[in-house]
Amino acid sequence: MTELNTKQYISVRLGNDLYAIEIKYIENIIVMQNITRVPKAQSYFLGVINLRGEVIPVMSLKGRLGLDKDEFTSTTRIIIVKPERSAAPVGIIVDEVNEVIDLGDDDVDMLNYDDKDVKASFSLGIGKLGNDLINILDVPELIGKDG
Amino acid sequence: MDVSQYLEIFIEEAKEHLQNLNEHILVLEKDPENIDTINEIFRAAHSLKGMAGTMGYKKMQQLTHDMENVFSEIRNGKMKASSELVDVVFKGLDALESYLANIQTDGTEGDQDCEDIINSLTKILNEGLGISVIDNEAGKTGSGDQTVKAASQTDAGEKFRTLKIEEHEKKAIAKAISLNLNVVGLTIYIQEYCVLKGARAFMINRTLEEHGEIIKLDPSAQDLEDEKYDFDYSAFVITKKTPEELKSYVMSVSEVKDVVAGYIQLSESELSNYLTAIKQEEMGEAAPKTASDSSSLKVGSAAPAKQPVKPIANRSVRVDIEKLDVLMNLVSELIIAKNSLVSSSSSLHSQLDAGFYDQIEYLERVTTNLHESVMKVRMVPIENVVNRFPRMIRDLSKSLNKQMELYMTGEDTELDRTVIDEIGDPLMHLLRNSADHGLESSEERIRQGKNPVGAIYLDAYQDGNNVVIEVRDDGAGINIDKIKKKAIERGTISEEQASRMTDKDFIDLLFLPSFSTSETVTDVSGRGVGLDVVKTKIEALGGDIEAKAIMGKGSNFIIRLPLTLAIIQALMVNISTEKYALPLGNIQTVENIKTKEIKKVSGKEVLNLRGDVIPIVRLGEILECPKGEETDELLIVVMKKGERYAGMVVDELIGQQEIVIKSIGKYIKNHKIISGATILGNGEVALILDVNSLI
Repeated sequence: MTELNTKQYISVRLGNDLYAIEIKYIENIIVMQNITRVPKAQSYFLGVINLRGEVIPVMSLKGRLGLDKDEFTSTTRIIIVKPERSAAPVGIIVDEVNEVIDLGDDDVDMLNYDDKDVKASFSLGIGKLGNDLINILDVPELIGKDG
Repeated sequence: MDVSQYLEIFIEEAKEHLQNLNEHILVLEKDPENIDTINEIFRAAHSLKGMAGTMGYKKMQQLTHDMENVFSEIRNGKMKASSELVDVVFKGLDALESYLANIQTDGTEGDQDCEDIINSLTKILNEGLGISVIDNEAGKTGSGDQTVKAASQTDAGEKFRTLKIEEHEKKAIAKAISLNLNVVGLTIYIQEYCVLKGARAFMINRTLEEHGEIIKLDPSAQDLEDEKYDFDYSAFVITKKTPEELKSYVMSVSEVKDVVAGYIQLSESELSNYLTAIKQEEMGEAAPKTASDSSSLKVGSAAPAKQPVKPIANRSVRVDIEKLDVLMNLVSELIIAKNSLVSSSSSLHSQLDAGFYDQIEYLERVTTNLHESVMKVRMVPIENVVNRFPRMIRDLSKSLNKQMELYMTGEDTELDRTVIDEIGDPLMHLLRNSADHGLESSEERIRQGKNPVGAIYLDAYQDGNNVVIEVRDDGAGINIDKIKKKAIERGTISEEQASRMTDKDFIDLLFLPSFSTSETVTDVSGRGVGLDVVKTKIEALGGDIEAKAIMGKGSNFIIRLPLTLAIIQALMVNISTEKYALPLGNIQTVENIKTKEIKKVSGKEVLNLRGDVIPIVRLGEILECPKGEETDELLIVVMKKGERYAGMVVDELIGQQEIVIKSIGKYIKNHKIISGATILGNGEVALILDVNSLI
């Protein structure tokens, strides 16, 4: 059903939970920037930033997942992702970026279809990393659909 | 190397010729005796035929050839441009256009045949002449050219004899002679009307290379390909053929006016010099330098080839639009860099001397001018889009069986190339709308005492920072009651809402998705995907559309487009703690108003400003900014959109600035009040307010 191969992810922390973003989506990781608010935008879009002359929208991952409000600390990072190779980039705010991890397909429990109707999780599956469980984020879903 | 590198030029120029033909044939239909028009048509058709032939597009060549025959007879006064004839010719042009479209997509003509069109052309030709058709090879080598050929057969035409022959070429000549081969010099004259000179020279050289080896070209092969020659060039060929044979091969290439050919010989002494040199080289020894540099050639007169006089014609270059985009982006970057320099210099103003500010100001002037120049380069007259409309209206007139005429003004109004590329479809849609729904049938018009021929107007003009395009007609106008009935029927609005709506509100309903009032769906329009698509497209271009109509008198659609999409002058303002940019082009005045002067009329705030009552927009509330303190005085920026005004309440003015518009992407919803973002001197992002959606 699925081919057995290993994918690379970046593990990030939101509050006490771990999430993983597949590395192929990631363009860049930057420190927190001045964000310009965009009126009437979706609540989880905090605004836009200037990344080397490009204006890039930034979303709060916590806001998107319906978690607590962000608290910006020195570890807060903006991960610049592209849902597709040719698509425009989007920034995602996380509390902390941990490390690059390798997860094989057998390390990941794919969510079956029934679980997926909990759309708010934006999860592709749960990965096992040692004793920790890590939530693998569905990046195109996260960005693409306007909730 | 092959002809494909000329494909782009071919497509561009073929389009121009086709457009030219379309326009002139329309004129011809109205004024069949106009000899200038006929000549122009003939010329365009002939160039097109030549170009298609050069590129090896046989079907296009065949069809244009047959059309050209017909034009030729009209030109000779043997036939009249009847309406049927024009119809067939237009069909032919359509076929040519579809060939061209095919070429553009995959490089081939496609396999569509146009036998029927060719047949009808031949039929018209036969009927028109009343005799069996004469194979009219017009243009290839007309009788006029024959005399030219005879005249230039003299030594005067043998330009190749004046060429300076280089050392190594002499050597090659000597070697060829020793091998009993002919060395032939040729001077080739190309027809002055030849459009693809580079390709033509390439064809000729390829022909020559089939029969021998080209050892010298003057101008060089590269220059020939780049069309850096007048209408003649010379070549030396080592061949087994005679000059006469070569000449006939070259003459068989079309658009060659004349060829002069002759043997090239070296003087006896030189010949033997080179022959010994060659022999020595063959024996592995370096050739001793002879005094041949100074020795004369039998053919080589000392006079250097005379500097060709460059035609002072059109000194323009075709530039890929992508290169212009890159240039525009660089200018944008430069302006951002300049803005940051300005802002950092103003923060340390005490330490810097006056000279520095002069330089900054100078830099500002230069970047502004640079931006304007680049913008101008990107500007294209709207003519490129609208010139196909007269033809379209003619076709519509036939297919709808209504008499109508299109009047256009301001075709020379210029717009950014990206806008031009996008504006064609919306305009076409509006024109079709006018033709189909707007104008009444001729009988109906006569009954109402109107001119039986309906009029559609397309006017373009510049208005401040905008370009306005109006599509008007003198038809029935917009039936408000019909819209009302339909809107209520469909549940778009309630009866109660309808009673409170103005005529203008009803007309605006037309721009809602799938709202077509036409009772019958025709081929032309009325499928309900109409005005909303037009509106979306125009808004995507940063523009705006509005409609006006007078019942029984006609309707008017007004499109307003920004002059440029990339860089604008803006007024930077503070609203609460946030910075926003307001496009300067829309700003009328800035007023200081006492809060108590603002009155409420039916729940809306308005201001009586020198006799005009204008609505007040509290930007802070709309933009959901953190609330500031209420003050006695308000700062109001009066903005204008078309004929409508509104006063925007802001907290503080920062100043005028040149800003680069950047998109905020499609992920963020912003209800259209934000048209984009810009990067300020300090690296912060400020949002640009879209005035069109606020007023």
